[in-house]
Amino acid sequence: MFKTQLVYRFDVITGVVFSIFKILLACILWSAVFEKKEVVSGFTFHTMLTYYLITGFISQLDQSAAIGWQVSSDIRNGRFSKYMIRPIGIFRYFASQSAGSTAFLLIFNVFAAGIWIFLFKIEFTMSSDIKCILAACVLIVLGLLFMVQLHYFIGILAFKFLDVTALMMMKENIVQFLTGALIPLALLPLAWVQAMTYFPFYYISYLPTMLLLGRNSDECISGIMILVLWNIAFGIINAVTYQHLKSIYDGVGI
Amino acid sequence: MSIKRQFKIIYMLMKMKLSKNMAFRFSFFGAFFADSTLFLIQLFMFSAIYSQVGSIGTWNKSQMILFIGTFSIINALAMTFFLFGLITIPEKIKSGELDLYITKPIPSLLYLSFESIDLGSFPLVFASIALIFYAVSGMTVSITFLSVVGYIFLVILMTVLWYDLMVIIRTIPFFLIQASFIENLEGEVLTLCTKIPGTLFKGPFKILFLLLLPYGLMATVPAQFFSGTLSTFGFVYAVALVAVFHCFTMFFWKFGLKHYKSASS
Repeated sequence: MFKTQLVYRFDVITGVVFSIFKILLACILWSAVFEKKEVVSGFTFHTMLTYYLITGFISQLDQSAAIGWQVSSDIRNGRFSKYMIRPIGIFRYFASQSAGSTAFLLIFNVFAAGIWIFLFKIEFTMSSDIKCILAACVLIVLGLLFMVQLHYFIGILAFKFLDVTALMMMKENIVQFLTGALIPLALLPLAWVQAMTYFPFYYISYLPTMLLLGRNSDECISGIMILVLWNIAFGIINAVTYQHLKSIYDGVGI
Repeated sequence: MSIKRQFKIIYMLMKMKLSKNMAFRFSFFGAFFADSTLFLIQLFMFSAIYSQVGSIGTWNKSQMILFIGTFSIINALAMTFFLFGLITIPEKIKSGELDLYITKPIPSLLYLSFESIDLGSFPLVFASIALIFYAVSGMTVSITFLSVVGYIFLVILMTVLWYDLMVIIRTIPFFLIQASFIENLEGEVLTLCTKIPGTLFKGPFKILFLLLLPYGLMATVPAQFFSGTLSTFGFVYAVALVAVFHCFTMFFWKFGLKHYKSASS
């Protein structure tokens, strides 16, 4: 997958370059908000921009949405049979593909983040606590794995519904909000945030970002444990769903 | 071709598309649900921000909800009538499938624009109107017949602007076969402008998003008009800009067609 990405390097580069719009959005929106206040929910203007830079970086690493689109399209067109007859684990095949894309993008994203810091004159501040940095890295990896599982799950739902486009688009909007990619979850009412801690999305990019900003360090262990449990649960759900739904696949396509 | 005949063609295309869509009933309201969640989440996002500050720039919470509702209604109209037709143009140019459209005895752009009318998206118009009512209930402006008519006029005008921008962007593949990056750019700019009222742009971004790629005007101008903050200059500027863009769109499309090299493109 790493090599495949090299073939489409122009698309990859534009994808990374266009991440500037997320920073631009944050910059324009929050500079208007911070005109009247110096601190919002514990964030200064520059920590807010750093927040968006890090969440943007993590979101860019997640390339698993392609799995949902590919699996559902292959099922709909009757091309999914090629995975079924191969002596490989289908989920592992797609997970490896996604990991390859992420590894490739990692290099470009680090480079792009550096340019955005320079371009927007962001006073980048990050925690120097090794424990927090390590926990954030573990959470990011577990979060990426969870997203692969989620997209694979939506993809195989095409066995039953054929077209899952609407589901994928709705998921995209909801996940963006729940992971804190749109606004820091700290801005939401406390009861909402507390409810969100039981679900995996809170730990995918919000908590790692907060840890890298040197905040929420008391949630490291519980975060890792909850995300591990969700990964196990989704692994079982995916296996059961696949076993159950593959019997209705006719392999013909429409 | 007379306007009456053009409407007749659009009606026929709509009937054909409707019968085709019925084959995928689960997806019939797909775009409606997808975009409803988008605007609902935007509402949550701004509610959270307004819980911390009284206003963003000169926009208070009700005005911002009106802005979101306005973008939602323009988006709903675009999705219902032309969006799904226009997005297929680059692929049709690339594959040579456009031959089928230019050889038919109706204007090719009309056919391409309205062949994928999506009635499943239309309920989003009602959801948007409900959002606009909610926004207006929190505002102190007096609602007159003129303000409602003016608002509807500007919403239609901005829908035309969206149409023009979509056509311009999808005419570029006549000259550059691999122009997907321009469509990606359009997506990013749209996302940006659905979240930020145009008046918040400063410096070069003002020129970029209010003149060259005027997505920043779309929901801003009708929302400003309805809340009584749009100047006469702002109104005239918006009308003039749409007129210029529409003329350019028609010219550019015809110019692009002349460069079409059929399946060898």
